[in-house]
Amino acid sequence: MKPALLLALVVVVVLAASSSLLVGEVGVSPAQAVRAVLAAQPNLTTLVLWDIRLPRTLLALLIGGILGLSGAVLQGLLRNPLAEPGLLGVSSGASFGAVIAIYYGLTSATSLAAPVFGLVGALVTTGAAMALARRGGTLALILAGAAVSAIAAAGVELALNFSPNPYAAYEITTWLMGSLADRSWDHVKLAAPFIVAGGVLLLLTGRGLDALALGEAQAESLGVDVRRLRLLALFGTALGVGAATAVAGAIGFVGLVAPHLMRPLVGHRPGQVLIPAALAGALIVTMADLATRLIHLGPELKLGVLISLIGAPFFLWLVIHVQRRSP
Amino acid sequence: MRCGGLDGLKLIVLASLVGALGCSIPRAVARPVRVMSINGCSDQLVLALADPRTIASVTWLSRDPEGSYMWRAAQHVPVNHGSAEEVVRDHPDLVIAGSYTTPATRALLVKLHYRLLVLQPADSFDDIRRETRTVASALGATERGRALIAHMDATLTRLAADKGPPLRVAAWDGAGFSAAPGSLYASILKVAGARNVTAQTQGMGGSTPEVEKLIATAPQLLVAGAPGFEKPGRQTDVAHHPLVRRFWSDRTLVVPLSSYECGTPFSADAALSLREQMRAKLARAQTPLPFAPVSTP
Repeated sequence: MKPALLLALVVVVVLAASSSLLVGEVGVSPAQAVRAVLAAQPNLTTLVLWDIRLPRTLLALLIGGILGLSGAVLQGLLRNPLAEPGLLGVSSGASFGAVIAIYYGLTSATSLAAPVFGLVGALVTTGAAMALARRGGTLALILAGAAVSAIAAAGVELALNFSPNPYAAYEITTWLMGSLADRSWDHVKLAAPFIVAGGVLLLLTGRGLDALALGEAQAESLGVDVRRLRLLALFGTALGVGAATAVAGAIGFVGLVAPHLMRPLVGHRPGQVLIPAALAGALIVTMADLATRLIHLGPELKLGVLISLIGAPFFLWLVIHVQRRSP
Repeated sequence: MRCGGLDGLKLIVLASLVGALGCSIPRAVARPVRVMSINGCSDQLVLALADPRTIASVTWLSRDPEGSYMWRAAQHVPVNHGSAEEVVRDHPDLVIAGSYTTPATRALLVKLHYRLLVLQPADSFDDIRRETRTVASALGATERGRALIAHMDATLTRLAADKGPPLRVAAWDGAGFSAAPGSLYASILKVAGARNVTAQTQGMGGSTPEVEKLIATAPQLLVAGAPGFEKPGRQTDVAHHPLVRRFWSDRTLVVPLSSYECGTPFSADAALSLREQMRAKLARAQTPLPFAPVSTP
């Protein structure tokens, strides 16, 4: 991996995160921010920086990072440029779990309910996809993932259909658009451990993915345990992306786009793209979250909507690009 | 030939015949209008204006105490679920729908030759006067309509007479009816003497104000429109934010959806009660507000 590339990415991410701390309803200049940090007495600026913007920025970095990372791992694992966390039912499983927790009274018992159910939902759908595709190869896994994902999506709608709250459908539709607005330290504490744990599992796949690029049989002959690799990738994705979806709603396209942006810069080696893709994902989500605060159109522009608006044209470009390269 | 003393069906059948013979049947005397409401807001006006015996049915929503101001009156009349099939079953003389009623249902009713009155949403007290008059005249209850409007205007005068210091509030609603300028919720807050410092732009925002905006504007009270407050959902999420808990836990007032969802002649009463509740809440509030407002829009 080129150290220069990594350094440049880290610098850009740090810059984006710092500007994210300065933008919002209350204007904060860099000098004010420094003074607020040094001030002994809490004031408006410290309150805004510490209790509102810092947790939000940290979540943007963590969520973007895990989405980019898992996208890169899944594209390597499935050897498919269209792979992303949503493909295997992780996002819809997490949504399903969170919807059950929110609309059947479990969140009033404990605020942990939505994230925990989100995680459980993600693990169940991913587990089901894996179990269904255990004898088949990559294609079987993709198809099983798509089917499980569709079932979970139907589950979300069924749960809303029978929800005791008549406004559930409205609320959940806006929630699923994805947003980081007003997320507090509570959310960071809930999501961060799972995202970090998932991230570690995903990073362990790096070497195996390089070998897998040659084909499954070739990788096995090189001593790579493909089953273990699959388990790491899917369990890591379920943990990390499940937790991310449970606190921020569904944020698509980051997992798809981030690895593609980085791949040419690392010589197209699947194992090498992991860390740059995580950084690119963190950068995309942080910048998009910043943009939602800069663009004022009346109601809040949802993070997931903005990313999809940018992501979808990229997807189109990708399709055309792949077509042009293929014979 | 006698024109009275006939039951409904015969009357309709005979009406055209005797009409040709020159015997005029005064409608109101022959039979009061049997009315059916298939919209939650038209329910309110029908229940307020019509004699319960003439109400064929109102929607099931009207019996919900959280969302319906007239829920007590609704216990004594039959309910429907707003479908054309139920209209055919109940066979009323007049169907009242809202402009949000499914277009398919409205088109079908027109096709089936039902007399259909479509109400526009009432977002201001002028709108309320207009819609109340429309329904009252369609039901032949002009006097009752006039009396209710007079009651509303008297309450509004009472509210205007006792202004008091303006209350700086942040108001929102969890169900998509925002307190945006131009909404009924905003009209009610205004006559209740409250200024919504986090007022969003016009339109269906429906979202809660961001916590950062609350910190920046430091409203004295949070007025949380809470549909289904008892039912699980996300409308209370903002209350769980650590900063909101710290500054506004004893400064949050929950208002039922029924007080601002539909414009009725009782909306002024809702405003009066809202003002009393706001004043009482503020008198008891002890938590100091966050730092002085930075900018007030």
